[in-house]
Amino acid sequence: MASSGEHSGHEKHSPLDQFEINPLVNFEVGGVDLAFTNSSVSMVITVLFITLFLTLTVNPRSIVPSRMQLISELCYNFIAQLLNDTVGDQGKRYFPFVFSLFMFVLIGNMVGMIPYQFTFTSHIIVTFALATVVFIGVTILGFVNHGIRFFTFFYIPGVPFYMHPLLIPIEVISYLSRPISLSVRLFANMLAGHTLLKVFAGFVVSMPFFTGVLPLTFIVALTGLEILIAFLQAYVFAILTCLYINDAYHLH
Amino acid sequence: MPQLNPEFFASQLFWLVITFVFLFIFLWRVSLPRINSVQTKRENKIKEDIKKAKQLQAEAEDIQEQINKQLDQAKSDSAELIKSAFVKLQDESSKKLEELDKSLSTKIDATYEAIEKNKTESMNQIYEQINDITKLMISKISNIQVNEGEIKMAVEKIRQKVIH
Repeated sequence: MASSGEHSGHEKHSPLDQFEINPLVNFEVGGVDLAFTNSSVSMVITVLFITLFLTLTVNPRSIVPSRMQLISELCYNFIAQLLNDTVGDQGKRYFPFVFSLFMFVLIGNMVGMIPYQFTFTSHIIVTFALATVVFIGVTILGFVNHGIRFFTFFYIPGVPFYMHPLLIPIEVISYLSRPISLSVRLFANMLAGHTLLKVFAGFVVSMPFFTGVLPLTFIVALTGLEILIAFLQAYVFAILTCLYINDAYHLH
Repeated sequence: MPQLNPEFFASQLFWLVITFVFLFIFLWRVSLPRINSVQTKRENKIKEDIKKAKQLQAEAEDIQEQINKQLDQAKSDSAELIKSAFVKLQDESSKKLEELDKSLSTKIDATYEAIEKNKTESMNQIYEQINDITKLMISKISNIQVNEGEIKMAVEKIRQKVIH
């Protein structure tokens, strides 16, 4: 929400203005613009928050945890449980990655809920990059575990033989579209939520006082909903990653 | 839509890689092992405590058993004591009762004998009186001289008749 519509209702403001990227420190490497932008600020805040929180709240000598430590351990156990339920024992190796992914998306979404903070998860390039890492990693994992037999993943047993020419392409397409569905789901949710908030915020300003109260209450309610969605999307991202890892171990 | 503007794609990806890789390595190497160590420590402590508690419970059960045993012993001991005391008392009382019986019966016998003696004595006296009266009456009514032996025999005869 870099540019706000607080001045007046007459000025023209697009609800999409909040997703505008503004470079803060410019620098180029080999002709490529790698400017430090407001998006980068949010990423740095997210990472600093996660690392500091998980480091400062956990006292390695305390048998009885403090309240803050309980939150850290809750996050830890939540993802450990998730990974254990979906993948099983083999999943323990990927715990640091899934945990990092979950925390990064979750805190990224939450940081985006702070007014005037940029939401980097509302940018398709960021979510697509994360989803692609998961996709490539899982595909490599599948080939490492099963070799050439990994291709049998697209073959569904127990189906009449004449269905296979139809089903195998469908399976391949659905597999290849995983990074797209994974990234677009998060991106679209964040985009829609923040746009909606902004639209209602515009109503508050542009409408007369008495009717302006109504959109304001809507904003309050929607903020709660958005916080829920922020958590939910991070959870969905993590659980789908777990399921993909599981697929790489256990073919059909 | 700013999301589709490729102007900042490179910058976004660059900073995403830097921040995410830093986060991943930091969590992997620092934060998660710390949390893990805390949790294993706590688990071990809980396991140890449970073990200790079980041991203590077993000890407590042993003690309880011992107490029960002693209690049972004490109960049976006291029951035996009461029983023996009761038997002893019964014996004593029956002995004393017997003694009392004996002394009473000897006394009764003695008294009986005395009564019997008195009775025969008084009977003898009565007979003598009867004899005397009979002799007196005979001498008064008639002049027949009867000696004492005859009177005695007659009275004896009548007495025999009366009794039988």
